[in-house]
Amino acid sequence: MDIDVKSLHPLEIRILRHVTRGEQITAERMIDELDYKLGQCNQAFSWLMGKGLLEETRRETRVYYELTELGHMQAEVGLPGERMFNLLKEHVAHSLPEMAKALNLEQRDIGSAFGELSKAGVFGMDEQKKAILKSDALPDTYQVIKQLILRAQEHSLCETDLDEDEQRVIGSISKKRGASMVPFKIVEREEVVYALTAAGAAVQGQLEAAGVTGDELGALTPAMLAGGSWKDKSFRSYSVASPPGRVLLGRRNPYGEYLQWVKDKLTTLGFEEFDGPLVETEFWNGDALFMPQFHSARDIHDVYYVNNASHAREIEQPYLDQVAAVHENGWTTGSRGWGYEFDHEFTRRQVMRSQGTVLSAKTLPKAKIPGKYFGVARCFRYDQVDATHGADFYQTEGIVLGEDVNLKTLLGLLKMFAEEVAGAEEVKYVPGYFPFTEPSIEVHIKHPILGWFELGGSGIFRPEVTKAMGIDVPVLAWGLGIDRMALMHLGLNDLRELFTPDIESVRTRRGK
Amino acid sequence: MPKIEVHTGRFFELLGDTYTDDQLEEILPAAKAELDGRDDEQGILKIELNDTNRPDLWSAAGLARQLRVNQGAQAPFYDFFSTDLEQFECEDRVVEVDQSTTGIRPYIVAFAVSGKAVDEASLKDLIQTQEKLCWNFGRKRRSIAMGVYRSDLITYPVQYAAVDPDTTSFIPLQMDLPMTLRQILKDHPKGQEFGHIVADLPRFPFLQDANGQVLSFPPVINSAEIGAVQIGDEQLFIELTGTVLKDLILAASIVSCDLADQGFTILPVKVVYPYETEFGREIVCPYYFQEPVSADLSYVNSLLGEELSADQSLEALRRMGIYAIADEQKLFVTIPEYRNDFLHPVDVVEDVMIGHGLGRFEPVMPRDYTVGRLTSAELFARKVKDIMIGLGFQEMMYNYLGSRKDYIEKMHVDGAEYIQIANPMTENYEYVRASIMPSLLNSESVSGNAVYPHRIFEVGKVAFLEPSDNSGTVTRNALGFFSSDSAIGFNEINSELAALLFYLNRAYSLREVQDPRFIEGRAGEIIIDGVRVGIFGEVHPAVLESWGIGMPSVMCEMDLDLVMAL
Repeated sequence: MDIDVKSLHPLEIRILRHVTRGEQITAERMIDELDYKLGQCNQAFSWLMGKGLLEETRRETRVYYELTELGHMQAEVGLPGERMFNLLKEHVAHSLPEMAKALNLEQRDIGSAFGELSKAGVFGMDEQKKAILKSDALPDTYQVIKQLILRAQEHSLCETDLDEDEQRVIGSISKKRGASMVPFKIVEREEVVYALTAAGAAVQGQLEAAGVTGDELGALTPAMLAGGSWKDKSFRSYSVASPPGRVLLGRRNPYGEYLQWVKDKLTTLGFEEFDGPLVETEFWNGDALFMPQFHSARDIHDVYYVNNASHAREIEQPYLDQVAAVHENGWTTGSRGWGYEFDHEFTRRQVMRSQGTVLSAKTLPKAKIPGKYFGVARCFRYDQVDATHGADFYQTEGIVLGEDVNLKTLLGLLKMFAEEVAGAEEVKYVPGYFPFTEPSIEVHIKHPILGWFELGGSGIFRPEVTKAMGIDVPVLAWGLGIDRMALMHLGLNDLRELFTPDIESVRTRRGK
Repeated sequence: MPKIEVHTGRFFELLGDTYTDDQLEEILPAAKAELDGRDDEQGILKIELNDTNRPDLWSAAGLARQLRVNQGAQAPFYDFFSTDLEQFECEDRVVEVDQSTTGIRPYIVAFAVSGKAVDEASLKDLIQTQEKLCWNFGRKRRSIAMGVYRSDLITYPVQYAAVDPDTTSFIPLQMDLPMTLRQILKDHPKGQEFGHIVADLPRFPFLQDANGQVLSFPPVINSAEIGAVQIGDEQLFIELTGTVLKDLILAASIVSCDLADQGFTILPVKVVYPYETEFGREIVCPYYFQEPVSADLSYVNSLLGEELSADQSLEALRRMGIYAIADEQKLFVTIPEYRNDFLHPVDVVEDVMIGHGLGRFEPVMPRDYTVGRLTSAELFARKVKDIMIGLGFQEMMYNYLGSRKDYIEKMHVDGAEYIQIANPMTENYEYVRASIMPSLLNSESVSGNAVYPHRIFEVGKVAFLEPSDNSGTVTRNALGFFSSDSAIGFNEINSELAALLFYLNRAYSLREVQDPRFIEGRAGEIIIDGVRVGIFGEVHPAVLESWGIGMPSVMCEMDLDLVMAL
């Protein structure tokens, strides 16, 4: 078997370097000889077995004696009888309660030790009912118990390591369960005996050849640096190609990152960003865009109405009067208008902004000439939510104002978007329809992966839109289908995924 | 956008040639149309029409006419239109309007058809035209409703009146027994669909002939006899009722031109009103009412960025089926009978563009120099995002609409400031979010399986009622952030808030606040220059329970517009 010795843990290496073929390998040995903890032995054995470097030869059950809490205490301060003996040695006579108080022991512990040692002829009672010494030495068993306790402090005692006398003594002060009143508890342990396999011996040879002992340094610590202890040691090699642990980091949402890229792109192309409120009036959402209040063109935009702030108090002047006049008779725009009576109540009604073009129209009164503007606007539509329709979504829209603006510069602008924003190879223009632009153009692009698709809609704002906002130069208006490109960029095919609440999904999402 | 289905064979017949799908896709843009699909089994082409102002294109005949002319064919000449100067003789074909229709459904126009038996393709196209015209152009029959009848069963003059809905009855289509108009509203499928248009009126519109034979109850349903047109019928009577006279006349023109293109003879019908209309007391349909439009050639060229001659412009318009003349660099345009979408000279420009061929215009880069710039709110938001990411938070983006349950009930707040949608599609999208916190908790509630700790934030908009504003609402840019883990508490979020505001360079103070969303004594208001800009703390276990969240959580929300301004 071919094993990368770097994949071995120091606990494994030290065992492999320590043992020879044919030997019995047990946890007890490793505890004794390599100073392992039992848990470390079990871990190392199971790893080595898994790699086929060790094999199990037999297993047997052994009895061990371990100190109880009481046993540990007695190891520190001595046995009750021993302490009573020492006390009486200094101060001749004590009553039993006096001794209990002086030694901070329970009455019944004093009682049983006194009884036991009286029987052995060590203690006696004088006529004042006080305990006195009758012998100047404790019985031999006390020495045996003391020795056993001290040895057990080092490690638990295996039955087979005790002589007959010791076994008899320890048996009288041990219990299997509920051992709080005695210094030892009895633990039965299954002991497995292992042997080095041929493969194990081969790896052993590899380790020896490489000079790897298992004592190489693991993590470099400040103490090593301070003391220079690293200087006469070597470092354990890590398995560099092993899979790394996971890091949870702070990071941008990839969709937000994409929108930011689009915004940055547009600013580098000379566009200034606009923004606005989510709640709009019918005036801005449709009337200002020369969409007749009751015409089917408004069917395109099935909007959400606001219930508890249903109407704005007033609409900005002079725009209200100008737009109303444009709808009714064209005002001074050269249009004949829609020829209906403009509804001043309806125009104040509030809706959730349904199209980004609203912000383009609102920008007109304060726009610079020449000027370029854009916005990435959250819009709302009365639509069944599915893979291609969200209840709310972003639209990327903008305008270009200037004396020289015309159809050909509109085509040029669309070409620039197609190339710069969408990375298109080919561009195609077809006549389109929007209520607020004339002429209207749709731009289709050939994408390396998606093939032909509609990148966006555009046109020249109708004079009915611009003149009512006090603008006398032509204005290009455009909108780009950014979400479609964002989905492609993110490798998604469901619009709902863009606003997913699922943390893991966002954490693992990457752009192309 | 209207979508229509056309009989492939009839469509190619009308086009004068057959076309492959690719060829169709080449020529359809001239009518702002797209091939939407094809059903060869039924011999049908599905076509989407993008121009909602061109109802004349929503039929096989109308679409074919536009495309045929654009391909170079001669525009058809229609000789059956009356004008204000000259009306055709109608013989006995007269509709008499009763005074009672005033304020009910005041206008009706009509014409008749003969000379050819109706076949399946033309009947289907006629029914489709009727549906599209009345639905998309006629506001779902509110402003235009159209009826087609077997005119050989009609005795003129036809009577149009408003009648008592409870005492007038007839046998409607799809029924065997007479029903009152009121019953039709209640029990007939078409009554249930369109009855609301007339339901509140004192009297209902009603159409019968000189012998009292019922034609229909417009805009709801035809009678089962005169109103049941079938394949093979040779004599048709077509009427349109509604509220906007010009739209009715235009719709009649569209249908008559379509039928004329298919070889039918159009017979004029005179409608006699007891009151004045914008076209007089007597209107003979089909009727041409359009005014000529003029456009300066220089205006056309300045918008197109081109130097077209007068002749080039006239040729372009001719390819759109438009007759025009030029006089001293001015174009005088005669609007086709079936169109009424020329509101402004700019509308001439688009037809010149399409007629000339969009592909013949070269893209030119805009030359004006302008400075690009982001809003200050966007710049500030980016700064905030950078710090939040440095603090180890994942940016999230959420929908802005949600349910009362999520936004209000699970948050244990009264939601008084929440903007409510009057016409939600479902209760899942009934409220506009006034806070980012429900969005964050929703994320946590669906992400129990994601490795902890969770640290998320969003910079986005919230909107809420604000009576002092003109709109009664305000929209704000806000930051919300949230953490959850088995051991997390006030100290963590307090430190993160301190770090954020330190790097935003804002001095602030905290004030303990009682808020049902947070554990009492573990929530603070963030104050900058005496203004409350936000709130943060340990999320109340009752709120966590409502969301089904099993992990201790902390969160914070801040009004970034306020923080930026202070």
